[in-house]
Amino acid sequence: MSFQNLFIPHQRNKEERQWLDEEIAEQQLRYQAIVKAMEELAPTRERWYAEFLDRIQTRGFNVDGDMRVKIQHEDIPLRPDRPHKVVY
Amino acid sequence: MARPHIEPFCDRDVPFKPMKLKGFGGGMHYKMLSLDTDTGACTMTVKLDGGYAQKPGFSWSELELLVIEGELQVGDKTVGKGHYFFVPAGHAMPAWRSAQGCLLLMMYNTGEPSLVESDTHHPDARTDRYHETDSYNDIPWALGNVTKPNVASGCLIKLLNFNDRSHALTFLYCMTPHFWQDNISYHDCAEESYHLWGDSWMMQFGTVPTGGYFWRPAYINHGAFASELGCIALGRTDSKLFNHFHYNPWSTVEENQARAAARTAERDPLLYRWIVQHGHNHPHGPEDFEDTMQRIGGSRKYRSVQPDKNKPFAHSHGQHGQHHHGDDKAHDHDH
Repeated sequence: MSFQNLFIPHQRNKEERQWLDEEIAEQQLRYQAIVKAMEELAPTRERWYAEFLDRIQTRGFNVDGDMRVKIQHEDIPLRPDRPHKVVY
Repeated sequence: MARPHIEPFCDRDVPFKPMKLKGFGGGMHYKMLSLDTDTGACTMTVKLDGGYAQKPGFSWSELELLVIEGELQVGDKTVGKGHYFFVPAGHAMPAWRSAQGCLLLMMYNTGEPSLVESDTHHPDARTDRYHETDSYNDIPWALGNVTKPNVASGCLIKLLNFNDRSHALTFLYCMTPHFWQDNISYHDCAEESYHLWGDSWMMQFGTVPTGGYFWRPAYINHGAFASELGCIALGRTDSKLFNHFHYNPWSTVEENQARAAARTAERDPLLYRWIVQHGHNHPHGPEDFEDTMQRIGGSRKYRSVQPDKNKPFAHSHGQHGQHHHGDDKAHDHDH
């Protein structure tokens, strides 16, 4: 990512390099913990998906702001036959 | 790689660590929220102990800072909860002190945290970009319609920073109690949020409480949305924000990307043709999954355009780039 803002080039010293390496290693652990937690949430999430797909047929789908459109039953997407993930 | 997808995360779940990097002095503690593994750019919750003192200096990185709790003395000015600073790289800040201690959100946008002791700006610093504001008291809440299509009523914002090159945004946002919005969204930009107070819920990730955080790269589904108690949060995007709303919970990042390109081709056809197709008018553009995904009633693509079996050579172009033939005889198109 880039905010495309000013960056002033400079030399990263040994202490900064070591700090960065430690933080990267910790972040990897944090990421793995998140992936695991999100996999464990899968059954609950499936229920939330089902409730959402029901609500957009009855209460409506927010197309823009508060403008809602009721989605026809035949337009409801089917779950594809492939693994599903929410963390990339 | 850049910053990975960190969502959801709550800083209340981890302890503060002492800041060891040179220049910051003792009494600074932090929790890392997300980190760019290449540049070292990062977002941290930072706690300054009572009596903390920091010498004047600048960072090699652009810095954004929000006071979450307590008071911070910057030079001869004391700022409190909700005060926001945008500090360009190389812009020297006066000395910091915190008599009673404080809690900060610090965002280093272009490099790892750094502090070079100096009472003058670096010659390359864009000092004209520096600004600060008491975001809680000096900016009114505005409707969240910074882009179309926009969020539902009950989501309000205060714009803190706008990058005129990338259109990156920094803003406070709040959701009223019992806010809800029934759509799934993704963006062409990365998005970041830190919950200063309150809760919000997203259908993929569950409820995020006070101290909740995410850094989400582009094209990742999030929503539907709700907030039971309401919330106030700091949000950021790293480039132009556009809400790609849809209702397919299972679409992938790749499908979302292709759909974004397909929609760009429809929304800005001349720009798309010039930049992506180098002036050629290809009839078969990127695929919009909303045209092809399997639905309870079958794919829309095949539902709306049916070949007439009684006319062996007849075919129709019902949608951009999609057509059906009544037989298998070869023939040429004039496009």
